[in-house]
Amino acid sequence: MHRGISAWLLFWVAAPAFAAGNVDVLARTCNNCHGLDGVSVGTTMPSIGGLPKIYLANVMKDWKYDKRGAITMNRIVKGLSDDEIDALAAHFAKLPWVPVPQPASAESLAIGKTVIKENCEDCHGATGSDPDVGSPKLNGQWAPYMALELEKYRDPEFRMTHRKMRKAARELKEGEVHPVAEYYGAQDK
Amino acid sequence: MNGFDRRTFLKALAATPVASILTVPRAHASTPKARVLVVGGGYGGATVAKYLRLMDPGIAVTLVERETLYTSCPLSNEVISGERDIKTLQVGYDGLRKHGVDVVHDDVVLVDPVKKTATTAGGKVFDYDSLILSPGVDFDFGGLEGLTRELAETRLPHAWKAGPQTLLLKKQLEAMPDGGTFIIVVPPGPFRCPPGPYERAAQVALYCKSHGKAKSKVLILDANDSFSKKALFEQAWKELYGYGEGGMIEWVPASKDGKVERVDAETLTCYAGFGEYKGDVVNVIPPHHAGSIARDLGLATFKDKWCEVRPENMESTKQKDIYVVGDACVGGELATNNPFPKSAHMAISQAKVVAASLVARFNGLPPPEPIYTNTCYSVVGHDWGFSVVHLFRVDGGQWVYVKSGSGISPVTMGTKDAPKPVPRLYRKLEVEYADGWLRNVLADAFL
Repeated sequence: MHRGISAWLLFWVAAPAFAAGNVDVLARTCNNCHGLDGVSVGTTMPSIGGLPKIYLANVMKDWKYDKRGAITMNRIVKGLSDDEIDALAAHFAKLPWVPVPQPASAESLAIGKTVIKENCEDCHGATGSDPDVGSPKLNGQWAPYMALELEKYRDPEFRMTHRKMRKAARELKEGEVHPVAEYYGAQDK
Repeated sequence: MNGFDRRTFLKALAATPVASILTVPRAHASTPKARVLVVGGGYGGATVAKYLRLMDPGIAVTLVERETLYTSCPLSNEVISGERDIKTLQVGYDGLRKHGVDVVHDDVVLVDPVKKTATTAGGKVFDYDSLILSPGVDFDFGGLEGLTRELAETRLPHAWKAGPQTLLLKKQLEAMPDGGTFIIVVPPGPFRCPPGPYERAAQVALYCKSHGKAKSKVLILDANDSFSKKALFEQAWKELYGYGEGGMIEWVPASKDGKVERVDAETLTCYAGFGEYKGDVVNVIPPHHAGSIARDLGLATFKDKWCEVRPENMESTKQKDIYVVGDACVGGELATNNPFPKSAHMAISQAKVVAASLVARFNGLPPPEPIYTNTCYSVVGHDWGFSVVHLFRVDGGQWVYVKSGSGISPVTMGTKDAPKPVPRLYRKLEVEYADGWLRNVLADAFL
């Protein structure tokens, strides 16, 4: 048997309806915007494969119950049951995290490194690969996406849930937002 | 718009874990479990072909497509205004070949649903177990008096299939003098890309505003009385370009003589009931219907234009073992006026339903429960975009529109009694997400 078929089909055969077949069907709809196996190639859309299950489930439920602001995802997840959200979170969390290191200027890297040490490292780790429980990995995440997320956290009109993150993001100077995003985006490990 | 180049993009792709299974050298090395023929290599057809191979490399997949280079319709309005290079919308078929899809550049001209064979213009004959039709739309040039195929390629371009037409319309816009009128003629719905004509109006206005042609007008002559994301478009038009009397953009609905019945290519005049509108550029979107190959097979049973399919797996209601995806089909909760929008995202979603259903069938497994989703962004200014999302499930053999998982971007915030404007960051983010969406859907379907 070819290896391509194995995981997917065997899983399907082994488990009952929802857990196997249907979470795959659901997860496949996420590929449109988040890439095959949750590895995005759209620079403003995050990779989601390999992110912690608790982070993925929390963020989707916060959108669903209007605790956290979003642009598109808050509308999409409202059509999903909590069970489906949990199954999706588990599905994507099991996939490997695939960093896509992006080039950045020496100046950005220098500024980013300094700012991260002071503002971000505590929760996300120095390179973004070793975050606290419930925090997303950031190494090799798309820098344009991360810069936009920081903009959301910095805008008082945008409802973001995480108090510590709001505070940290708003402490950044205007010129530090992109270097921070680019530094994490440049990290492989 | 962010500036990651193609190399970084490809590196990202190469880094994905599936890279290891992209190397299946030949599709049909041993006896295949089943033979699937896909006709049409747009978003729908490409996705079926790729996902069949990803999910079960034991299935032999052949895709027949006329062109060697695909140009995405989504975001092609940005090409007309000069905001986007057409190259960012283009992709070839080598990605599918790497998945083991046998890509043949030809044209299927005849299908025998009894013998289960398809014949191409080039004289090739393919046997199939399942046939997927993703033929897109064909235009009915005779459907509007004064319009011909030749005129549509010269004086009255449609640019409703992206490619040379897009660039022709762009050239005509660039040549339009300040104070000129750009007319968009909208056919009766349902048509491909429901918000497309209205996004185009905004992009044309954006071009005029930022290229010293602020005295120009964009006139939408519509055969319909409402349109997709209407409140969002009207708000943005008003704010960015001026809308209605004295504004740059004007929309004339059918009820106010907007339905064009005749067009004079010589004088660039559109005639609608008692109305007569003269333009400097006339962009006629002709009435259209399911691609001819599907229609010739008698599958276009809905208003004689669109192909009806089964909710559980997109199989034609007319012909066993033939599936229709993309703009050519009709689906959704029609009774409540919530049809499947004719969008790229929807085509990809339908394609994945077909692929999963066929893989289950060929492996003797129970059919998976289908789910259909849509996301569609419209970009109306440098920092102004918005979207609509749709969710459909299948219950009791019928499509169910899931309202809780569907809807447009907010028009206002605050409360109903005390509405507040939507922060500009929201609109800006949707422009950025539109670009991210495009890159991901192109990769999801073709790479």
